[in-house]
Amino acid sequence: MTYDLVVIGAGPAGMSAAIKAAKAGAHVAIIDENPVSGGKLLGQLYHEPDSGWWVGRNIAREMIAKASSLGVAIFRKMEIWGIFPKWNIMLNNGERLTTEHVLIATGAAEKAIPVEGWTKPGVMAIGAAQTLTNFHRVKPGKKVVIIGVDPLSLSVAQELKMAGVEVAGIYPPPATEVSSDKSNPKQIIQGLSAMAHLAPNALLKAAGKAANHPTIKNIAAKCYPSFGVKVWGIPLHLRKTITAIEGEKQVEQVRITAIDGNGNQKNGRTKTMGVDCVCISGGLYPLSELAEAAGCDFVYIEELGGHVPLHSPELETTKDGIYVAGNITGIEGAKVAMAQGELAGTAISSRLGLLQKGSDAISEAQVKVQDARANAVITFQQHIESGREKLAQCWHTNVQTSSGKG
Amino acid sequence: MDKRTEICRCEEVKLGEILNAINNGAKTSKALKLATRAGMGICQGRTCQPVLEQIISYYTNQNIQETPGLSTNHPVRPLSLEELAGNRKDL
Repeated sequence: MTYDLVVIGAGPAGMSAAIKAAKAGAHVAIIDENPVSGGKLLGQLYHEPDSGWWVGRNIAREMIAKASSLGVAIFRKMEIWGIFPKWNIMLNNGERLTTEHVLIATGAAEKAIPVEGWTKPGVMAIGAAQTLTNFHRVKPGKKVVIIGVDPLSLSVAQELKMAGVEVAGIYPPPATEVSSDKSNPKQIIQGLSAMAHLAPNALLKAAGKAANHPTIKNIAAKCYPSFGVKVWGIPLHLRKTITAIEGEKQVEQVRITAIDGNGNQKNGRTKTMGVDCVCISGGLYPLSELAEAAGCDFVYIEELGGHVPLHSPELETTKDGIYVAGNITGIEGAKVAMAQGELAGTAISSRLGLLQKGSDAISEAQVKVQDARANAVITFQQHIESGREKLAQCWHTNVQTSSGKG
Repeated sequence: MDKRTEICRCEEVKLGEILNAINNGAKTSKALKLATRAGMGICQGRTCQPVLEQIISYYTNQNIQETPGLSTNHPVRPLSLEELAGNRKDL
């Protein structure tokens, strides 16, 4: 089957792009590995200070209806095992789709934090707990602790609590070779400043605001109470960590120890607490294996979350006709992903000759991406703007040094 | 981290094995994969790759951006020969 555009991934970015291009008149297919389209939108449920509740599954439902009404072919529960020039998309049912334009919108995967016992049944990534709770409506456990203090883990903690799960505490991961800043209370306080305006607790709000001042940040880390601070009634700990997850066949308890303001364990003394589930939040990284298999050039930019395909301001990669949008370009929220999807959909429609004033439409879509970024309620990567600038510079250098693409 | 901590779940590779490989000269996550099978299992490194990169960076004192990541090869997702053939007549 031949299409004008094949979109890989039916999350916020992919769906927006498919809708945009189909509206312009393109023949579009969208492929997703999940049985229900919507990607991470399906699990999203949080309160925004200005606009009220963000119910991701409703937004996903509207987008699916819109795409279907525009004649987008939606392939569900299909995995893509290969992508070959120029361009053949190989599905795992043996089918092959042919197209000149591909949008890879495969989102992100979770970074693991290995903690002793992290492979036991009952331990899961924070995103899995979110999907289980908000989409499947299954409690991940009766009594849960969360390892990792970041915007995603805090919002999932709140969602678990609303679902009636006992969240016994949120703890930083133990300081190890791989935990870097994630186990340092000072750095965590800095990170919390990204969501200080969302924090319901006055002390946490103050800590978030103070984080921009280096001395106050140090004092805040030092003076943080050892019993934690309650956020939505959940103890948020910065001066204790979980050193091991224990249990014979599955999670039965966690081992807890005190840490100083830099994350170092204070003494060998540990306590245990009985739990049946542990959620680990290590952050997200762009899921880009298909772009790599297609031969796209990559850059590693820490501020964007890891290795990202090098891409132009119109979201085209170094491979002709291959575009990227959403978290594969850097870790941000659903609204930015949707704006990026619209940009990619516009750029591809323009290239297909379907738009009268293509370059104007592209500029408009680019401004929308910037607006969405500036107005984001939650920032997942603290220095996202500088990451985006670094990438733009890399692209610029790449254009200057290479004579052509392909 | 305890040396018995599992790093690659699919191939059940523990930190101790990773450190042995680094002591034997491994300087990239690709070298670790070839030496220990970490990242060679059914998830193809989707879980352990960022961890392998951090471990390499920590023990060999290199920035992550200076060390090459794992390469991706077709097929990028596991598939059976039956799935591969499917109903295709052109293979």
